[in-house]
Amino acid sequence: MEESEGGPVEEGQSMALKKVEKSIMIALLVIGGILMMVPFIWMIGSSFKPENEFTIIPPTIIPNHPTFKNYTDLFVKMDFLVYLKNTLWIVVWSFVGLLLNAIAGYAFAKFEFPGKNKFFLLILATMMIPSQVTMIPTYLIVNKLHLVNTMAGVVLPGLVGAFGIFLFRQFMQTIPTDLIEAIRLDGAGELKIFFILILPIVKPVLAVQGILTFIAAWNSFLWPLIVANDEKLYTLSVGLSLLKGQYSSEFGLQMAGAAFMVVPIIIIFAFFQKHIIEGYTISGMK
Amino acid sequence: MKKKGIITVAALLSISLLAGCGSNDSNNSNAGASGDSGASGTASASSGTSGGGSTTLKVWFMGTSDSVEPIAKMYEEKNPGVKVDVQAIPWDAAHDKLLTAVASKEGPDVIQMGTTWIPEFAEAGALLDLAPYIEKDPALKADNFFDGAIQTTQFNGVTVGIPWYVETRALFYRSDLLADVGYPEGPKTWDELKDAAEKLVAKGGKGHYAVNIDAKDQNYLSMFAWQAGSDIIDSNRQPLFNKPEYVEAMNYLNSFYKEKLVPVGSELDTFAAFKDGTLPMFISGPWMIQGVKEKDPEIEGKWTIKTLPANKNNKSLMGGSDLSIFKYSKHPEEAAKFISFMSGMDAQLKYYETSNSLPALKEAWNDSRFTSDPLISAFGEQLKVAVPTPMIAEWEEVSQASVASFEQITIGGADVQSEMDKLNGKIAGILSK
Amino acid sequence: MKELARGWSKYKYPYMFIAPVIILLTVFSVVPIIVALIISFTDMDLIGLADYSHIKGVGFSNYIDLFKDPVFLKSIYNTAIYVVIGVPLVVILSMAIALLLNYGTGWLFKTFRLVYYLPSITNIVAVAVVWGYLYNSNYGLFNYVLSWFGIPEQQWLLDPSLAKVSLILLALWKALGLNMIIFLAALQGIPRDYYEAAELDGATGWKKLRYITVPLLGFATFFVTITTLIGWIQFFEEPFVMTKGGPLNATMSMALFIYNNGFQLNNFGYAASGSFVLFIIIIIATIVQFAVRKKEVEY
Repeated sequence: MEESEGGPVEEGQSMALKKVEKSIMIALLVIGGILMMVPFIWMIGSSFKPENEFTIIPPTIIPNHPTFKNYTDLFVKMDFLVYLKNTLWIVVWSFVGLLLNAIAGYAFAKFEFPGKNKFFLLILATMMIPSQVTMIPTYLIVNKLHLVNTMAGVVLPGLVGAFGIFLFRQFMQTIPTDLIEAIRLDGAGELKIFFILILPIVKPVLAVQGILTFIAAWNSFLWPLIVANDEKLYTLSVGLSLLKGQYSSEFGLQMAGAAFMVVPIIIIFAFFQKHIIEGYTISGMK
Repeated sequence: MKKKGIITVAALLSISLLAGCGSNDSNNSNAGASGDSGASGTASASSGTSGGGSTTLKVWFMGTSDSVEPIAKMYEEKNPGVKVDVQAIPWDAAHDKLLTAVASKEGPDVIQMGTTWIPEFAEAGALLDLAPYIEKDPALKADNFFDGAIQTTQFNGVTVGIPWYVETRALFYRSDLLADVGYPEGPKTWDELKDAAEKLVAKGGKGHYAVNIDAKDQNYLSMFAWQAGSDIIDSNRQPLFNKPEYVEAMNYLNSFYKEKLVPVGSELDTFAAFKDGTLPMFISGPWMIQGVKEKDPEIEGKWTIKTLPANKNNKSLMGGSDLSIFKYSKHPEEAAKFISFMSGMDAQLKYYETSNSLPALKEAWNDSRFTSDPLISAFGEQLKVAVPTPMIAEWEEVSQASVASFEQITIGGADVQSEMDKLNGKIAGILSK
Repeated sequence: MKELARGWSKYKYPYMFIAPVIILLTVFSVVPIIVALIISFTDMDLIGLADYSHIKGVGFSNYIDLFKDPVFLKSIYNTAIYVVIGVPLVVILSMAIALLLNYGTGWLFKTFRLVYYLPSITNIVAVAVVWGYLYNSNYGLFNYVLSWFGIPEQQWLLDPSLAKVSLILLALWKALGLNMIIFLAALQGIPRDYYEAAELDGATGWKKLRYITVPLLGFATFFVTITTLIGWIQFFEEPFVMTKGGPLNATMSMALFIYNNGFQLNNFGYAASGSFVLFIIIIIATIVQFAVRKKEVEY
């Protein structure tokens, strides 16, 4: 697509053309990026708006009377710190789930055992289940297990996921079996092989999955609300939606809450993206 | 090194998870032992059981908790030994949350019920019959509250709620702009409303509307139908959507669409449009008063509120919330006492302070803050003729069908009478299930 | 017995490795869907939920009613449109963005990775409010921009056919970042020497892309396609927060139809049968995908 701008190049002039090509690429990137950012910039700008500036025509991107009140209100009016703590717990747990996904993916990629395909199909099938309808049965099960209103009840149903297992399996299949055999002959235990050899190799997937897991946990909403019978277990997203009234909403507060929730994700992303980008020698997805 | 760290963390976590379950398990089973079949779940809802001195009352409220928390504190001070545990639930997800509570028979002791939810949850037997408590406590008697509000607490002759706050819809209008077209007092009848609307739009030109009708909200359709003298569903559960009165109301509303006197959809920002005069009238509830004051300070003194324009009458919608006792509560006596306090004078006035919600208690309206404010007292006036939506469990389904039909008329251009015939047939089907 | 014991010690590790996920998925996904399947043959509503003795079996009548329900049929049609337009756009655009981002390694490229990624991490509550303003026909940014070019204002969310497009645009905006990352990870996995060898053979940018990059992205493309497909067949969040399925059910998706019937109207049996139809559609789509993929690999 975009690369076609580069076109076929004669050998001699390639340097000059490469420069042109690069400028075009950057231009495309910037234009697309700005388009992607518009709603986002609007959100950040609005989080500094006093409530009565939301209805000004034409809408302002940069507030006329910027204020920090929305942010201070977040912490004064709501138990945002409690919500933050809960959300972080869910995040920590979901990383445990990530490891479970990875180890299962490893088993599916590198072991032969009876029923392997059946188990894998079972896992794939769970990916296709529309969550809207399983919610009540799942809740009843959680209730039977006496896990309502516990952190375990909040995290267990979503701890592992087919999407992650699928992705891990696919990546790990490309790891040469000889490599594993060699280490095994050296007397390494199976768990050790997994943690010392496999995990480092799949670092990019781990990073991708880590980001996805983090986001899902960070934004988790309906399920924590359903399972929690106590505000002490609310997550940030639930807190945010408390701000939406039956008939009216506090837009400024909502925007501040949403903007506040994005910052840690940016930090995490910046951290993980290093790992995605770092080259790794064994080819991953083919 | 790093990997070891990960393993250690994982191990620690799993221990803490198990510990977490364990402790909670024991909690549950302890309490479960005292109750019996099916009710064991209630334990964690109303934890700190009746073992000794203190009782914990679990109450569910919609919206942020800062409006209810102070009142709960007042109750705790007056009733040592009772702890009130307030859980705030987002409005958007409240219905889902209530469903799961019913499914597990585990939930709060006291629950705030949006008035339209009463029938479905009452029919499912999730709400306690309050008759024995009302008998004992004069503060819970029906004649303390607005008539329309009491109607919302009844289902099949059983009282399952006590009014908590009320809201209704009235007409907000720009007195200056309405004076320009000859209605300084605002329109009093349907004809005047229509006439004023036509003149306002003719005067304003492009981009100007007269009034809002939120066609996605069945309540607007209901109000006009009532005013035309229609009922919506009669006492034998027969729908009246294709009767002349209802059709008259739909025709009247549709004429506003045809002449482009109302904005389509709800995309116009009411506050902004009210301020710049592109929407000089709108029909809405008391929650808008504060908003207009804060967001439109420029038009202070140029707007006011009156009761809805009348056709055969000027009925409006009675909305709001009731307080109910969840069927599976372990502390119904305490819960009733708490509700009695909540619908009493002190709590009602305090709740108005913290949330601007109008008191359901009639006596509270004698307080100076209601009598002296013409904006609020207009709502007080309107409340006297406010009626609730039909108290049937299928109401949500009925109203969705009705809204869809009205959309067919205004957007799809369907003929009013034949669309209403179709709708009536469909709703008869829903109700006969 | 002995057989089993020998089998266990032989396959101990793989079974131990998959045990946690199998148990969790069985308890919290498989069992609930079986429960839902049973419910789909009953008339379960709120009364039934509170007291199981009120539940009656109704055979296939929920399924029969479903295919007589014009709203459900419309939701199938709408969902098909979402999928047919949305999925290819997501795959192509996210691959294009990943290729652009992979072009350089400077700070600019690193920053823009984040920029393209941001939408997919933004909380849906905020997304709804922000996009509601952007699409607002009276003072939204989009109509404001259109007015520069003399284009009349559009009813983004109120016009039945445009509303679908508006939702697809929003979903696209949200979906690109996530899939772009997967492509990016895959691109990083292509060994440099492939390109070097090709360059020695005189391959140019376009040829390298056509004959090395795209084929080597085969699996990533497959993965993104299949997960996007499954995701879009379950299209829910966007119409839920933006339009509630209106106007005139023009944006009603199957998942939203199920949600409405289950959680708004309490017709759990009916909703469960709808979700089974959805489930079967997803399975068929997935099998087709796998079959196509298999064929491709064989070449």
